[in-house]
Amino acid sequence: MTAKVMMRFDRRLLQNVDWALLAAAVLVFAMSMLTLANLHVGRAGGGVAWRQAAWFCVGLVALVVVASLDYRRLVRAAPGIYLLGLAALALVWALGRSVSGARRWIALGPLTVQPSEIFKVCFVLMAVWAVTSRWAQPIGANTLLVALPIAAVPFVVIIKQPDLGTALLLFPVLVVLLVGAGLRLRLLGAGAIAGLAALPLAWLVLKDYQRERILVFLDPFRDPLGSAYNVIQAKIAIGSGQLLGKGVAGATQSRLAFLPERHTDFIFAVFAETWGFVGCLVLLMCYVLLLLRGFDIAASAREPVGRLVALGATSLLAAQVLINVGMVTGLLPVVGIPLPLMSYGGSSMVTSLIGLGLLLSVRMRQFQ
Amino acid sequence: MNRILARRGLPGRRDAGQRRITVMAAAVTAAFLILIGQLWYLQVLEGGRFLDASDKNRLRIRPIAAPRGILYDRHGVPLVDNRPTFTLSLIPRELPREAAARDAVLGRVAALLRIPFQELQEAAARVPLDSFLPVRVRRGLTLEDVAKVEEWKLELAGVITEVEPQRVYPNSRFAAHLLGYVREASDDQLRQGRYRRGEMVGQNGLERLLDEYLRGKDGGERIEVDVMGRTVRMVQQNEPHPGAQVVTAVDRRIQEAAERAMEGHAGAVVVMDPRNGDVLAMLSTPAYEIDQFTGTIDRAAWQRVVQDPKFPLLNRVIQSQYAPGSIFKLLVAAAGLQEGTLTPGDRVQCNGEFRLGNATFKDWKEGGHGLVDTHHAIAQSCNIFFYQAGLKISGPVIARYAQAFGFGRPTGIELPGERLGLVPAGRRERRVAWPLGETVNMSIGQGAVLVTPMQVARFMGAIANGGVLWRPRLVQRVERPETGVVYSDPGQVNGHVEISPVVWELLRRALWAAVNDGGTGAEARIPGLEIAGKTGTAQMMAKSKASLGQDHAWFAAFAPVKDPEVVVVVLVERGGKGGQVAAPIARRILQAIFLEKVAAVEVRG
Repeated sequence: MTAKVMMRFDRRLLQNVDWALLAAAVLVFAMSMLTLANLHVGRAGGGVAWRQAAWFCVGLVALVVVASLDYRRLVRAAPGIYLLGLAALALVWALGRSVSGARRWIALGPLTVQPSEIFKVCFVLMAVWAVTSRWAQPIGANTLLVALPIAAVPFVVIIKQPDLGTALLLFPVLVVLLVGAGLRLRLLGAGAIAGLAALPLAWLVLKDYQRERILVFLDPFRDPLGSAYNVIQAKIAIGSGQLLGKGVAGATQSRLAFLPERHTDFIFAVFAETWGFVGCLVLLMCYVLLLLRGFDIAASAREPVGRLVALGATSLLAAQVLINVGMVTGLLPVVGIPLPLMSYGGSSMVTSLIGLGLLLSVRMRQFQ
Repeated sequence: MNRILARRGLPGRRDAGQRRITVMAAAVTAAFLILIGQLWYLQVLEGGRFLDASDKNRLRIRPIAAPRGILYDRHGVPLVDNRPTFTLSLIPRELPREAAARDAVLGRVAALLRIPFQELQEAAARVPLDSFLPVRVRRGLTLEDVAKVEEWKLELAGVITEVEPQRVYPNSRFAAHLLGYVREASDDQLRQGRYRRGEMVGQNGLERLLDEYLRGKDGGERIEVDVMGRTVRMVQQNEPHPGAQVVTAVDRRIQEAAERAMEGHAGAVVVMDPRNGDVLAMLSTPAYEIDQFTGTIDRAAWQRVVQDPKFPLLNRVIQSQYAPGSIFKLLVAAAGLQEGTLTPGDRVQCNGEFRLGNATFKDWKEGGHGLVDTHHAIAQSCNIFFYQAGLKISGPVIARYAQAFGFGRPTGIELPGERLGLVPAGRRERRVAWPLGETVNMSIGQGAVLVTPMQVARFMGAIANGGVLWRPRLVQRVERPETGVVYSDPGQVNGHVEISPVVWELLRRALWAAVNDGGTGAEARIPGLEIAGKTGTAQMMAKSKASLGQDHAWFAAFAPVKDPEVVVVVLVERGGKGGQVAAPIARRILQAIFLEKVAAVEVRG
């Protein structure tokens, strides 16, 4: 399918499709399907796997469309895309659907869309646009001044939803882009300190119960009934998988039913219980391969926009994988960040594939 | 890795940007190595232990509800208290997974405790099946019930009993409207995202107003239980923090006296301190039973209360509007005397009837009061005198004074749902001239004027203290054991009526006479206590024979006349004449308030 659509474009583009990247992504998706198919989630039954597959197809179409577009055109259009994304975030306020107390979803007919997921891509494009804009040249303190508001505005909106994980994700991506653009590290450090100093201001804006959520985020044992419980359960699930895993039949469903969000944010724990350390190694290697291809695409891009787009998309994926697996294995506090290509969720799946589409788009045009 | 990265680019010509990318790629790879290390630790090194944990034991989280803060009266006597009660809860994820087995467990509970099966099923269906938090199904189990559940524990996977602090009240209807009640967060409140399911939230009155302070911070414990549900060990425990303590302005002794005095009557009582607006007592009858509302009320009982034709949920003190009746004459007199359209010496021959055009307005006393002056007209509550005075003063001026005295405006009491009452618009806001008949009716507090008992209390307070309108104060302060006073209400004046001291004096003397010198309020007289008061009878629109003679009885008083300490307002719905019905109730309340003073006189006498 990928090929057919692109035939109409430049044949030379096709020669540069990064098949290894795609293969790694498909492998991860296959493991997601395998995990979801054996989960009985809530009252929906086994339907999650099929819906996940449907979303994967939607995402593939998006990937092909994005890959066939010239990323430079996308970056030129970034301010508009970014504003649309912000508008969608604002829309969550107006008609958002609340799931477990947080407003993150918008209902579109039978589907619910999570704009903060899609926004991640809008943000990457906008950040690249800003860093490569003429106001940001030469790279220096002025670049910081241009780039910071681009993260700060959505940060405030998303944190209010409250979706702390996504909000905090914006900053590592921005940092990677700035480093990739050649910002001097000393300046970056100064910027980071200034940003930290501004945090108390955000604190003032929040309501009491929102502050409470953030405190719980920083110290899960403040809320022994909430996230601390998830972490313990996830650790037991992962650990009991041991070296080779319990296998599909052995992974006791009753046991896993103790794990909240087991098909979304905590899917890695289910996978780890079923396939053990060896399975985890294979999954993580797929991610490493995928990300190294991403860095390679960035390194081999001939001009800064392509390099930064590739870096942005790669760092977005890398940050999500590292934070998600880190929190599920108990190394990081629990935040609501899905595991790209693995977690159940249409918005996240499509967003990840669009990210890959951007990488392909850069790779395919590296010799132009 | 460098080789991979360099392959596409030209070897040996890597720029600074490429070097940076290589470093970042290395950093990401290193982070993955850390994750793999952690997985090695969890799965290979500690895997056996976790496998053990997953097979044998399970963790259970038990919320420990924080006791709500206590509400005290002004002298530190508790108005409500907490008592530990037993609650039946379900832990959805520990219930059997198969519907049939689950229903069998629920059915057993239903049979054991005589709870409708449907209620249990609905409670279990309200939350996701994998929820690990207990769902409270029934509060207030008896010890016997608890013993039964414990006895059958092995057959009842996922059913537990918990201990929760629950509100107890001095008696079941005590200050129901003032205190409010505490119930599980409603679905609407859950949607706002502030509360957890099953959390207790103040739903009315002070419990709602002060919910943020009263609610404590729930604690919780994580325990490991074996397959029998027995505690293996305590993993972690967070102590609950009890809620803040509230010192209200209420005097429990006076509140109780008022409730005793009102027994059997429908209506409202307000006792207020005219010096600072403190609400010493406030009650609305008939009241609902707070006990019944606390915890999980069964639906039938709730329906009964909501559909009760006597409207027990209505707080008549602030949510019902009545014609003020003759109490309004005080305001008319104040307006006339201050404006100069009425003088203390004005006399009217009252023969029991007053004609205006074709209409005849009657006095309440057959044959009239004879020759009366302003003082006697107030004390005797002569309608004929006030019909004529009202016409002289004019409707718009009366309306202006009514507004100045706070009628038609909120009193600012911090309870939800306060009604404003009604005062006819002044001349400028009307297109047509003020109909004289309306003025005549308004002069004796009928027709277009509507007031709440709380507004009358504030009005009476203003006469007692020389024109200051206090916002009714319910709460003096809120204290936390750790941090001290976290909220205090110094009281607030929200209006001032400028009237000459001579007029105040005349009004107070006439009110004294109404009680002590052969006036309409004689039933409120207490030897040894100087009481000033005014009766009122709010006529119902007599549309049918049945509603005839079903007037609302008012009595508003303050005492002592010199340096008043309390204002008492009594309203009895469909009670009849104010002097006969409401005044004796006010007397009983005043007797209780000034117990020592009155007793001293009785001993001497």
